[in-house]
Amino acid sequence: MSIKDNIKPTRSELIDLKKKIKLSQGGHKLLKMKRDGLILELFEILEKAKDIRSEVEKQFALASLKISIAKSVEGVVVVKSTAFALKDTPKLELQSKNVMGVVVPKIEASSVHKNLQEHGYGIIGTSSRIDEAVDSYEILVEKIILAAEIETTMKKLLEDIEKTKRRVNALEFKVIPELGEARDFIVLRLEEMERENTFRLKRIKG
Amino acid sequence: MGKSQAVKYAYIVARVRGMKSKLIPKEMYPKFLNMDIPEITRFIGESEYKSDVDELGKKYKGTDLFEHALNQNLALTYRKLIEVSQNEANYIITEYLRYWDIWNIKTILRGKFSGASEDEILEDVVSAGQLRYRDLLEIIKIGTIEGVIAALSKTPYHPALSGYKGVLAEIENNLDKMYYAGLIKAGESSEDKFFLKFLKTEIDLKNLKILFRMKRAGMEREEIIKLLIPGGIELKETQLGRLASMPFPEFVRALEEFSYWKAIADISGELTSLINIETRFDKYGLINITRISYYYPLSILPVLDYIVCKKMEVDNLRMIVRGKETKLPEEIIKAHLVM
Repeated sequence: MSIKDNIKPTRSELIDLKKKIKLSQGGHKLLKMKRDGLILELFEILEKAKDIRSEVEKQFALASLKISIAKSVEGVVVVKSTAFALKDTPKLELQSKNVMGVVVPKIEASSVHKNLQEHGYGIIGTSSRIDEAVDSYEILVEKIILAAEIETTMKKLLEDIEKTKRRVNALEFKVIPELGEARDFIVLRLEEMERENTFRLKRIKG
Repeated sequence: MGKSQAVKYAYIVARVRGMKSKLIPKEMYPKFLNMDIPEITRFIGESEYKSDVDELGKKYKGTDLFEHALNQNLALTYRKLIEVSQNEANYIITEYLRYWDIWNIKTILRGKFSGASEDEILEDVVSAGQLRYRDLLEIIKIGTIEGVIAALSKTPYHPALSGYKGVLAEIENNLDKMYYAGLIKAGESSEDKFFLKFLKTEIDLKNLKILFRMKRAGMEREEIIKLLIPGGIELKETQLGRLASMPFPEFVRALEEFSYWKAIADISGELTSLINIETRFDKYGLINITRISYYYPLSILPVLDYIVCKKMEVDNLRMIVRGKETKLPEEIIKAHLVM
């Protein structure tokens, strides 16, 4: 069914349509700007995501090496016993921030990377192998939290870019052309009605 | 050294010489590096560790079996030393092996602190000191840290434990300081002054390791001083205080004036990790005790040499097998072998 079938060719409808076209064109322009802005934002985040991903991989390899050395030199028994000394878990606070209308998460983590004396175990009876394994895993957890924040932001931005792109396309290729068509149709009908009236009046006079 | 002193140690030194001859010769370690884990396990299963591997075979598998068998053998060997020694030798050996009692107390307290199960805690204790397995089992059954401390109220560990205010690290450090104070006391009461010299060198090495770790972590002088153990041979209190107040690079440079510098001189440039430095100090300690035990063959030193060598054997075997299991590069495994 064409849009022309549902419209009444009246002046008030034409005024309404013109308002809608103006609104749609304004919306289209804004959405295009939003889409472009989001894409720029995405590229920035993408760089960060790539960096943090490779940092997580590097840190994971380092942490695996350190824990392997600790397990090999000190023994699994020592590593397990030392791990018992700490029962605090990292505290995560989930907040949100707004990037061009897109709500993205912001994760605040506390008590992840602790100093040497906060590891829970005594210093005299332990070794740097344990310290370095603990340190590298704490840094890894910090990086994973950051990666989670960046990658979720990236995912949300991508979803919103997709949504905005669909809206821009719908406005550009469907809504605005159809409204324009309807406007042209009403203008044409109104002109025709004008001509018919003029012709009718001339006939009555004649 | 007087004649009576030599006679006192003749028996235990003879026993220890026999036990030392059964240690795996150091030429074997490069061969182990070329073997697979099952080959090493088979070799160990046919050696002095056979009965331990057979006994624990039902409970553990693979490298866990290997590690627990090594620990059990170490514990039984050390207990045997306590049982066959007498008088002064027994006193010194017991004091030296108190390390393991302290280790077990720390493990039990840590386990209770984190709410670990009795079985989990039991897996991590090594009954190589005075506290027997059944004593440890009784302590592990107690539900709370306060209960464990109360159960140890009639032991020498109670003064170190009684200050518990919810921070385990503090009482762990107290226990370790108490251990070294006990050793110094044993050394001073002994006629064997070489033992005291060995002990003081061990304390110096321990203090150096603590200094390296604390300085690298950027800790303040007062915090470092609290952890340092008094009684070293080269690093007296004034030197320790001076080293503790220096920034890390200056601290490293200042070590050049001590004899321990030669142990780390070639790696001091790359200090991103302290692991190699600690291994070098461990090697230094082993070389030191082996060297002086040859100079004074009828003293406590050959016994202590055996204790250290046995521990190194267990550590080296575990290093090779765990290293191979976790696919550590061969050069890293080699670098951490203490021979």
